[in-house]
Amino acid sequence: MSQPVMEPMNYRVGIDIGGTFTDFALLKGDDIILHKNLSTPGDRSLGVMEGLQTLAQQEGLTLSDFLGQCDAIVHGTTVADNTLIEMNGAVTGLITTEGFRDEMEYRRGFKENIWDVRLAPPQQITPRRRRLTVPERVLFDGTVHKSLDEDAVRECCRRLKKQSVESVAISLLFSFVNPAHEKRVAEIVAEEMPGVHLSVSHQVLPRSPEYDRTSTTVVNAYVAPRVTDYLEKLVSRLKEGGYRHQLMVMQASGGVMTKEYIEGSPIRVLASGPAGGVIGSAHVGGAKGYPNLLCVDMGGTSYDMSMVIDGEAPAVAGWNMHHRYLVGVPMVQVETLGAGGGSICHVKNGEVQVGPASAGSEPGPICYGRGGTQPTVTDALLMLGILSAEAEFAGGNFSLKTDGVREAFQTIGDEMGYSAEEAAFDCWRLVNANMIQAVRRTTAGKGIDPKDTVMLAYGGNGPAFAAVHAEALGIDKVLVPKASPTFSAMGTLVAKPTIDEERSLTCAVDQPDLEKLKALWQELGERAQHYFAEANFASDRIQAKYQINMRYRGQNWALSFDMHSGALQDLSFVDDDLGTKALAAFNERHMLEFGHVREGELPEIIGVRLESSVDTPSPKASGGYLAARLAAAPMGYRQANLGEGYQETPIYQGAELQPGQEIAGPAIIAETFTTIVVYPGWQALVDDAGDYELNRTGS
Amino acid sequence: MSFELNQRLAAPRAPLSTAAAVDPVTASIIRGAMETVCFEAATHLGRAASSPIINQSNERNASIIDANGRLALGSIGTPHLTFVTQLTVRYGLENLQDYDWGPGDVFLGNDPDYGGGHLPDYNVYAPVYDDNGELVLIQALQAHQGDTGGKDPGGFTLEATDIFTEGLAIPCVKLVHRGEKRRDIIKLIERNNRFATFAGDLAAMISGVQMSVRMLQDLIRKWGADVVKAAVNYNIEHTEKRFREEVANWPDGRYEADVYIDHDTQGTKDIKVHVACDILGDQLTVDLTGTDDRQELVGVWNTFGNSRGYVMTQLAAMVDPEIVKNEGLFNAVDIIIPEGCIAHPPPNKPAALGSFHPACEITEAVCVALSTVVPDRAAPQVYKIGMPNAVIGFDENGMWMDQGVDARSMDVSAVEGIDGWGSCPSALGNLLLSEAEDAESRFPIINMSREMTTDTGGAGQWRGQPGSLNVKQVLVPTSAMAWMVSASHPMQGMCGGDDASPYTNHFEVGTPNEYKIDLAVSAQLPADAVIAYQHGGGAGFGPAWQRDPQAVKEDVLDEYVSLQAARDKYGVVLNGSLEDYDLSVDVAATQALRAQMKAAAQAAQVEGVQA
Repeated sequence: MSQPVMEPMNYRVGIDIGGTFTDFALLKGDDIILHKNLSTPGDRSLGVMEGLQTLAQQEGLTLSDFLGQCDAIVHGTTVADNTLIEMNGAVTGLITTEGFRDEMEYRRGFKENIWDVRLAPPQQITPRRRRLTVPERVLFDGTVHKSLDEDAVRECCRRLKKQSVESVAISLLFSFVNPAHEKRVAEIVAEEMPGVHLSVSHQVLPRSPEYDRTSTTVVNAYVAPRVTDYLEKLVSRLKEGGYRHQLMVMQASGGVMTKEYIEGSPIRVLASGPAGGVIGSAHVGGAKGYPNLLCVDMGGTSYDMSMVIDGEAPAVAGWNMHHRYLVGVPMVQVETLGAGGGSICHVKNGEVQVGPASAGSEPGPICYGRGGTQPTVTDALLMLGILSAEAEFAGGNFSLKTDGVREAFQTIGDEMGYSAEEAAFDCWRLVNANMIQAVRRTTAGKGIDPKDTVMLAYGGNGPAFAAVHAEALGIDKVLVPKASPTFSAMGTLVAKPTIDEERSLTCAVDQPDLEKLKALWQELGERAQHYFAEANFASDRIQAKYQINMRYRGQNWALSFDMHSGALQDLSFVDDDLGTKALAAFNERHMLEFGHVREGELPEIIGVRLESSVDTPSPKASGGYLAARLAAAPMGYRQANLGEGYQETPIYQGAELQPGQEIAGPAIIAETFTTIVVYPGWQALVDDAGDYELNRTGS
Repeated sequence: MSFELNQRLAAPRAPLSTAAAVDPVTASIIRGAMETVCFEAATHLGRAASSPIINQSNERNASIIDANGRLALGSIGTPHLTFVTQLTVRYGLENLQDYDWGPGDVFLGNDPDYGGGHLPDYNVYAPVYDDNGELVLIQALQAHQGDTGGKDPGGFTLEATDIFTEGLAIPCVKLVHRGEKRRDIIKLIERNNRFATFAGDLAAMISGVQMSVRMLQDLIRKWGADVVKAAVNYNIEHTEKRFREEVANWPDGRYEADVYIDHDTQGTKDIKVHVACDILGDQLTVDLTGTDDRQELVGVWNTFGNSRGYVMTQLAAMVDPEIVKNEGLFNAVDIIIPEGCIAHPPPNKPAALGSFHPACEITEAVCVALSTVVPDRAAPQVYKIGMPNAVIGFDENGMWMDQGVDARSMDVSAVEGIDGWGSCPSALGNLLLSEAEDAESRFPIINMSREMTTDTGGAGQWRGQPGSLNVKQVLVPTSAMAWMVSASHPMQGMCGGDDASPYTNHFEVGTPNEYKIDLAVSAQLPADAVIAYQHGGGAGFGPAWQRDPQAVKEDVLDEYVSLQAARDKYGVVLNGSLEDYDLSVDVAATQALRAQMKAAAQAAQVEGVQA
């Protein structure tokens, strides 16, 4: 019998690098194939290549053939976030307008807790000695009030060089109106400090006011060398491996774009991994008929919480305090608690505590057998029988080892005067309590009762805990998508390639400067066309939304609304009626947002915006239970403590379960990359998409 | 309008009557939902209003009051407004039949003699009824307006001797009746205001309150009025309990402090605020007896409502920050303010400037008094600035005012273990300071400098943050007003730390007409005039010669502290060059110098005791 001729596949791969694991979601037609392997903190691109190699092998292809058949590799990275968490970014300097040296330190007066006089300041990326100023001044209308003192710029360079500065942020007043001085400063710095990384504010965030733009530029300068080094390394490895397209990179806004585009402002990748998870959640929840979701993602090092309301998880631009720094680019809202499988259990002041220290992936939990000696949450799960040393872990990347685990918990037990098992159980209880409290803060802070939501659990550790948290929060249903362990990676495949940019121009709505407005939209359109062309997207695939920003004189916030949707560079809508149409749209929007319009006062146009995007194939997601409901058969039993003491507990193999099958708790489902715990009083159902739904039965 | 009214408005109120019981988690969820309502209301106002005081400086506050007039949730905004809001509402509530309260109504009050702070703080509030027509809550939204229609644009008159000079006082007026705006009343109020965008700002306050009312109605429908009322009761009781637990840990005793204002607006010197804090078990009493009560003083009259609120602003910063801010705080503390003193004026006194001073000296005095009791939270929640260098002009649209940019770094004192940092004390931490790019796009001004000045932070084991020098040029003729305090009596250092640096202010800088303002001025500035305001820094905590020498070296590298001050104030001798960034501590020389300083300090202490 001859082998069937294999048509080359058009693969799409989503990749998300977490603190512990690097996750892969391979989209192959309508099928999703998941994979994960350990992250490689020394050079994270190595872990990516290792996983791609495994996927290629699974497809029966060489790496080169596999990558040659990849239409898109989409990547979410935590490199920028890790840099801000560990505060180990580039030695950064700031050059700004004379008189404005200290804006970064003032933070516009903002303090995270206005009642806590003991709140410590954030560590400064640019301490005062590295914040230098130059005489120059541009006014609000772009006119030059004071010319640039180029000698002063060179003196700044001398002082920054003395301090071994690696990355320079340049942020001058009103550069978003007239960037000439900023451009010239950048030229001089490039001459005087060859090899230094430059972040220029009118490119990173071309809008007012100065603190917001400067802070965003400074953070960009701080993370940029790490992000670009990493992406360049990865791109070159992918190219060597045979990948022929642009690497697409997830942005915090929930869209993806090319590495070349991202390198203009690498700050856009901050929080991109969690954004991928939220975008994926909205996609899956929507398809299954659950528009209101409480999304919880527990991996090795963190527990991320986010909300999807009415199917939406909108990106918010402006006042985003991220790791205590203002980042003005649009970001999907995710809140993080530093608790994960790697969180270390210990005794402090006579009390058992979990975290905040984490064993991360190196050395990792004791049971990984990679040199870890301190007991972690994952070790506790092993002690409790929720995980097993008999089965493969993380898709067969390695087996868990019991060596040293009991002894480590016994040390805690000795201090507390009880057994190792009780110590492990206390750790499990504590980490649950911490997470439940964190969810409450997130939902209560938004005035949302978690009861009104469906929980969607993902991340390698999410499904092991989800139902306990749901029960405490009054939630009756938990979704655990099959792709749960690599959900952020899958989310990157859902996200659309998107560019969303704006430009400033102030003019009266009854006398709009049509030529200038047109020129700005055209400029934004050309930028979008350029970057999409580089990513091999034909311009007829680009969907453009032309928006205008307007406000009443004196308002500090503008309303943005669509003036036209259609093809890129179709500016036929810019005609003599534009002002009238804009005014009508503004009035409608102002009434909707603020319940009134002002009598006898006309708003002003303050800028234009263009959101351009391309549709790409998304993983299918559906739900329902057309399949007959059948009881599933366990593949074995083991002693496990699911909160009610050690009991003989049935173990099911996820790969064997069929749509329609149901499992009553207590039970444990061993999926390839995660473990789903069906706690007592809960029932698991496999829906027609092969995803799990956990329902509270109460019995 | 009397002392009696004040006492009645401030009297404790009963819990809401309810048949429901509530568990702590539900109470917390409902509180969270109320916080969200307040956040949305404050955000709505910040986005829809045009006044830079509201939309840039964020000088606004949203709170929820219960049907008995208790502060159910003091939330997003300025603490100094949060704790005064309920008295204005209580006046309306006390007269709800006269004012014909009903669903869909919106009210306004700003009268200092009817529970208010000062006239510019407009309090727009609206009752929230359940579906049976029972009053459950009241949403209040306050904001500082750019003008009040008095003698001087902006609402501040240096020589005012009565409230009528300052503008239109409104005890309670209905702006919206059963959902319909009262155009006659709104027009009257708009007519009494010079500010170009006032009409839009007032409209934004009304629509913000109306939005909140809808959200609160949804909340009441979801949980039922009884559960919401039980949650409000629980949260207030819990706050009182938590506050008392903190006080119970403080040593019993009487702790006193005096803080002085340099002078009133007419030059009468050394205006005293006296505070005694008595701790007995879990009961704290704050008594302002002994505070100046000279009736001839001008400009230094702080309303009764404001004085209570400023006491509470400081106390709330000296306990666990997690304690929810509501009526429970007032239930836990007895506040005694003698009638007729500058913290509890007789009717019709001017009120505008009193919200600066003595309001802030009350706060500072509470902090100084309790500084040995709670040293790790002893940071005064104040603005010692006399008043901002507001510049005011008129264009074809009407009056404009630029003031927010002036407030950069000031008054950020250290506490035990933490240097002062940022640009203002934490209680002001959500007054987002306005930015030069926004201000200059709107007003004919140029901001020339706002940088910190070396050596202006009070020295100490923990250092006060330096104050900023704010230099601004006006491009057209404008009026500007200033009242200078905190020069003779800058902010006090805590537990042996140095005082903050004094404030100074100069007009028409760099011209033959340049002058320093020692007292007060209401000036006309010509086009291109430059004004320069040096803010005082924060005060230090603990003796400066106990500061870690390495921290002093870092301060010198960052130019917070000069080489000279490192030696003279901190006793730290540095080798190397600041220019080359290679400073190092000369350990032996530093030890020797510090030994001398310590001996001198001890000698001074002995001398002080003997004296």
